[in-house]
Amino acid sequence: MVHPGPAPADPLPPHPPRIGVFVCRCGGNISDVVDVERVAAEAARMPGVVLAAAYPFVCSDPGQALIEEKIRGLALERVVVAACSPTLHQTTFRRTIDRAGLNQYLFEHVNVREQVSWVVEDEEAATRKASRLVRAAAARAAHLVPLDKRRIPIQPSALVIGGGVAGLVAARDLARRGMKVTLVENRPFLGGRMAQLHTLFPTGDNARDLLAALIQETVREPRVRILTGAHVIGTEGVVGDFRTRLRLEPRGVDEHLTYPGNAIAACPEETINEFDFALSRRKAIYHAYPGCYPPMPAIDWRSCTRCGKCLAAVGGKGIDLKSEPREIELHTGVIVLATGYDPYEPLYGEYGYGIFPQVLTLQQLIRLLDPEGPSGGHLAGNGKGPGRVAFIHCVGARQVDGVNVPGPDGKVKEYCARTCCTGALHAALELKARYPEARITSFYQDIRTYGRFHEEYYERAAEKGVLFVKYDPKHPPRVERDSRDQSPLVVRAKDMLTGGLELEAPADLVVLATGVVPHDISELISMYRCAVGYDSFLLEVHPKLRPVELAVSGVFLAGCCQGPMDITEACAAASAAASKAAAMIAQGRVEMDPFVSRVDESLCTGCQTCLTVCPYEAVTRDQARRVSRVSEALCTGCGTCVASCPSNAIQQFGFTDAQVISEVDTLLAPEPAPEPVPA
Amino acid sequence: MAEAMPHAALTKDAPVAAAWEPRIVAFLCYWCSYTGADAAGTARLKYPPNVDVIRVMCSGRIDPELVTAALAKGADGVMVCGCHIGDCHYIAGNHKTMARMPLVARALAQLGIAPGRFVHEWVSAAEGDKFAALVDRVTRQVRRLGPLDWPRRMRERGVPGGRGLSPWSEP
Repeated sequence: MVHPGPAPADPLPPHPPRIGVFVCRCGGNISDVVDVERVAAEAARMPGVVLAAAYPFVCSDPGQALIEEKIRGLALERVVVAACSPTLHQTTFRRTIDRAGLNQYLFEHVNVREQVSWVVEDEEAATRKASRLVRAAAARAAHLVPLDKRRIPIQPSALVIGGGVAGLVAARDLARRGMKVTLVENRPFLGGRMAQLHTLFPTGDNARDLLAALIQETVREPRVRILTGAHVIGTEGVVGDFRTRLRLEPRGVDEHLTYPGNAIAACPEETINEFDFALSRRKAIYHAYPGCYPPMPAIDWRSCTRCGKCLAAVGGKGIDLKSEPREIELHTGVIVLATGYDPYEPLYGEYGYGIFPQVLTLQQLIRLLDPEGPSGGHLAGNGKGPGRVAFIHCVGARQVDGVNVPGPDGKVKEYCARTCCTGALHAALELKARYPEARITSFYQDIRTYGRFHEEYYERAAEKGVLFVKYDPKHPPRVERDSRDQSPLVVRAKDMLTGGLELEAPADLVVLATGVVPHDISELISMYRCAVGYDSFLLEVHPKLRPVELAVSGVFLAGCCQGPMDITEACAAASAAASKAAAMIAQGRVEMDPFVSRVDESLCTGCQTCLTVCPYEAVTRDQARRVSRVSEALCTGCGTCVASCPSNAIQQFGFTDAQVISEVDTLLAPEPAPEPVPA
Repeated sequence: MAEAMPHAALTKDAPVAAAWEPRIVAFLCYWCSYTGADAAGTARLKYPPNVDVIRVMCSGRIDPELVTAALAKGADGVMVCGCHIGDCHYIAGNHKTMARMPLVARALAQLGIAPGRFVHEWVSAAEGDKFAALVDRVTRQVRRLGPLDWPRRMRERGVPGGRGLSPWSEP
């Protein structure tokens, strides 16, 4: 609890508390401009001030030792330090007075450096301003009450949302640190986008082999629980005890199903196979991909007609067509978001996509090159393969406002998708290896093979004869039907490296190296109140110093929900998120400032204005007593409810009306008369 | 006589001392504007010493009564600064500030207080230069307006303790 007792009302203690004022010279930073001795002398005349003096460096070890000594020796009950900005040393001095046995919130920090000595030129004016601020702090200090940091215990458990490679790595790492982990995936199978790849740059590993190994590592951890077909539908609570409601879609199949192949063969319903980016069709009861996990098939309820033919084909066991979704609630200490990305889906007609069957996305090409893919790894039925191939880079990435068509959010995708350059070159090399006769032209803005061992793909592609044409993003390439009928299509572009010469490349196949957009998690964003960047990806607290934490305490970021990443980076981010989450859990509790609001029930009229202004839904209505109540755990201490209350029934600890008004009063009080000059 | 106090009479009653300096109170949110004021200091920008800063956690905490209290207690001007819309550390505390402050300005205008005495601006943590320029501008405009001297006016109108709100007109 922040403070026992009622809402922080005013009353000053009957005797003014004993206040010590320490004015820092900051080695001349302050004292060169401000007459610190005069500031201390004027502060000494404030009620309750028993000590006011200037010291060279209050933040130094001797300076802090002095504060401790004076607190003990003079029985100080409040401490005021006038020094640099509180952003620098407020915490330092709170710890100091805590060591001396005084409650750390009986402390006032006055900023006489950044906001006085460094900005005011005139020494007299600076001294008077410093004096006003110090005296105001002394007046405010008299109104302070002891407060305790809020300590919220953390359950040693984590919810990982997203069962792709980042979510799997985060879940595995957390489990290996002893946390109970629940991994939820809203599709029926784990693996995410990585499962749709074939071989990976820069190692050449098979994507699904790597993934299968990772899935085995993760699911064999005894503390990991996997929920597939699970949708987050609600959340309550805060760090330490997030209560998440999940809707579990039934799989429709259980372990008693002995011959899943028979059931799939018997199913009469077919639908587009999203796993192959609509290049193939699948049944309503299906496996997402060979070797998928969980190994049981799942029923796609949107296409299933519940005809029962699958059930008949397997002897009536192992399939339940009547199962209904159910809801569960999970309690976890922390949350890791690993919701991933979607490949950019080109608009109809963008570079001929959807109009010409010869225009594919890079993702579709990768599916076609996959021996386990829809065409068994063959691009053309005659075995000769494509004659001429044009790759177009930066489709749905690095777009130009006014040139490209904005998305539904009204913005063009200006950011680089980072993975498609190397991915496209990797696919081009794969094509060259399979079909050495293929002639490949690559239309690019810039080749950004930025990662370790990625540049080699560019060099190898050039060695193998891939032609590179640098196009102007303001005049992107055009894909048209070839009027001379030499090949189905022709790509025309201005080549920037020959001064804008118009080039044309006949093409049997056009591959669009499409960008990366965040997976649609708008519901999660509003549930967790996540910050979102201009590019619509989730925004970390600080890109350099706190790269995997969300501003919402206890929520961490793993992988492509934060921005385009390759698998290497996504795994690194996931491991980092797991480490940060585990470090938070290892503390056993989170500490938060006690500046929460509290309602004085005797003044509350029950108008509920405060309920409408709280950004955190921390204010609730006590129906029985017809008053508002602030949850200390949810309150973040902004004080907005305080300012909105028409009855002045709400006060914020640390920023009560009395405290703020005492500051106003003293700042505006007549300034002290000059000290009489000693005779 | 006190009922209608024309400006000329007012200045005659209370001649402005040559040494008069405007007193301005600024309420700043901690996360953006206060840090922006620190940024001005770190950059060693110089601005007038007339603005005294009071720190709150969020501009949403700035009760209109704090503004009127400062004026009623002798401030010649009041500044309110918070994070730009979209930057609020508390998601949307500044949305409430955005809604409230125009009402405060209107209420003060109805009380006859010159509009230049109350300034509401967004200052981000990086906008030290904006903060310094703002202090400079507000100090100059309040200096031009002269002393508000609300406590004395209230005393003269028989309001005990100089408190309370009574309309009169400032040019």
